[in-house]
Amino acid sequence: MALLEVDNLQVEFATDRGIARAIDGVSFEVNEGETLGIVGESGCGKSVTSLSIMGLIPRPPGRIAGGEIRFAGENLTRLPEKAYRKLRGSDISMIFQEPMTALNPVFTIGNQISDVLRRHKGLSRKQARARGIEMLAEVGIPAPEKRIDEYPHQLSGGMRQRVMIAMALSCDPKLLIADEPTTALDVTIQAQVLELIKKLAADHGTAVILITHDLGVVAETCDRAAVMYCGKIIEQGPVDALFEYPRHPYTAGLLASVPRIRPDRLPRLPTIPGIVPDLLDLPRGCRFRDRCGQALERCGQFDPELNADNDAATVAACFNPNPVVTA
Amino acid sequence: MSTPLLRVRGLTKHFPVKGGVLRRTVAQVKAVDGVSFDIERGKTLGLVGESGCGKSTLGRAILRLHEPTEGEVFLEETDVTAASGSELKRLRRNMQIIFQDPFASLSPRRTVFETLREPLDVHRIGTPAERRKKVEELLEVVGLRRAVLHRYPHEFSGGQRQRVGIARALALNPKFIVADEAVSALDVSVQSQVLNLIDDLQSEFGISFLFISHDLAVVQHISHQVGVMYLGKLVETASAGDLYADPKHPYTQALMSAIPVPDPKAGSERIVLSGDVPSPMNPPSGCPFHTRCPAAMPHCSTIEPRMQNLGSEAQPHWVSCHLYGDTPQADNSAD
Repeated sequence: MALLEVDNLQVEFATDRGIARAIDGVSFEVNEGETLGIVGESGCGKSVTSLSIMGLIPRPPGRIAGGEIRFAGENLTRLPEKAYRKLRGSDISMIFQEPMTALNPVFTIGNQISDVLRRHKGLSRKQARARGIEMLAEVGIPAPEKRIDEYPHQLSGGMRQRVMIAMALSCDPKLLIADEPTTALDVTIQAQVLELIKKLAADHGTAVILITHDLGVVAETCDRAAVMYCGKIIEQGPVDALFEYPRHPYTAGLLASVPRIRPDRLPRLPTIPGIVPDLLDLPRGCRFRDRCGQALERCGQFDPELNADNDAATVAACFNPNPVVTA
Repeated sequence: MSTPLLRVRGLTKHFPVKGGVLRRTVAQVKAVDGVSFDIERGKTLGLVGESGCGKSTLGRAILRLHEPTEGEVFLEETDVTAASGSELKRLRRNMQIIFQDPFASLSPRRTVFETLREPLDVHRIGTPAERRKKVEELLEVVGLRRAVLHRYPHEFSGGQRQRVGIARALALNPKFIVADEAVSALDVSVQSQVLNLIDDLQSEFGISFLFISHDLAVVQHISHQVGVMYLGKLVETASAGDLYADPKHPYTQALMSAIPVPDPKAGSERIVLSGDVPSPMNPPSGCPFHTRCPAAMPHCSTIEPRMQNLGSEAQPHWVSCHLYGDTPQADNSAD
């Protein structure tokens, strides 16, 4: 049994203009100790997926309209709030994009780490502080016994994200959800933080869901990845296969349009024409059809499901995927 | 070689830090510290560096959106730093800027038409009918339909808003545009569309760009020349080809190796820099990078390296690092 099983999840939000289905039938699994990347552009539903797992969808306007999220066999969608609170921060924890807004500016770092440890592990004030210093040292914060008494604004962005990671891992969670953990950081700091997440996850045997828009980050940190578009997973599989032989035209287009350092400059960047459709006004059939270069007649009538092809390493939701390349 | 369109010499911008009861100046943030470069006609200089390195301040100081503390900027033969009043206003027709966040830089209460007509009104260009025609042309140039003319910014996607921002910068037919993280807020599929648009505009109108970005891959794609900034100083400049094929400065090398590559098989050997960028209020002595440099030598912390040309006269490759050249005391300055 996988550690986390998301099964046909549907999440809706009520808006002035109608019901927007931000997640429409998403299924995936995360095994123990594995790192899964969820990648996609703004509005594709990757963050809503992570918030649903954490039970943090604001209700109203949001609601889980269908499907199940099973964590260690237990269905979280029906979990009462009180039980959820026990789970968050201990068995499942999360790090957010902007550490400055995720940390409380009026409490010291020590206060905030101790809080987690005292609540979930029942440590005394003194024990919690000692463990907090240990955690800060583990995430590579210099002079942790001094830093623990500082406030978030006294730390740099990279340091703040390290503090978030220390807090998230302080109770040895089984699953860590990292939502764009390095997007607000500079590349040299991003490299440090990604290394740290990779190392700690391996040391502690923590499973990680890494949510990002950056395909490069996925390629370097994840074992498997799922590509989302308009509230659906349109392709998923092992990272190696997904990046080398993308089957869905959106995955292929996304990979091609990332500028990367090359020996010779391309005259033009490949692009995906058009823009992401409005969730309240989705086209009939496949949601990517209007932007797709290889759309068929059928694509306008039916919405393709994730389809396993025996020879392909990845599964893609497409009627006319790129041919399977066997190595 | 013809004279460059833009010449920047020793540009410096210090911000005072006020403190104490009397709000006296207690320190200076050296945001930009003696930067010199040229931009040729119809070419793009890409400027990369991490947050706080002074790249945006540099862009604004060139346009005099920040008043430079020292140094000179010439647009063709005109001294931008000395211009005042009506002369500066005239100059600004030729120098425009595109901002990072098109949502914050477009007025939410103005339609696209009003936003794009404003520069024409301010500079009293054409009759109302001509202005309207010009606005319609601008929309076409940046790939927006005429139907959007009377819409407000919130009705657009990020990519479309950035197109409006670009159209506004083009309204006065400028010769030089500062693009400050112009594509950083956009998703990759849209980012590539906007990058191609900037490319097209350059070939069509011969505009020179200062393209400021933290993304080395984007900069490589769009630039002819590239400059790398660290703590208010340029540490390396060269043609895009030379800089990416053979980065000389340890900081440039580390920056390049830090970029995550969308290829799991790339297996890059990463130089992970330790520590954070030091505060520009109190920059390290000697070479500003020595506190994080994997190749630092004892004298790097005391003697500041000068720019030296490791390329040829025709294809210069400027680097300020003690690893190159023999005597660190030697005074072979950039200009």
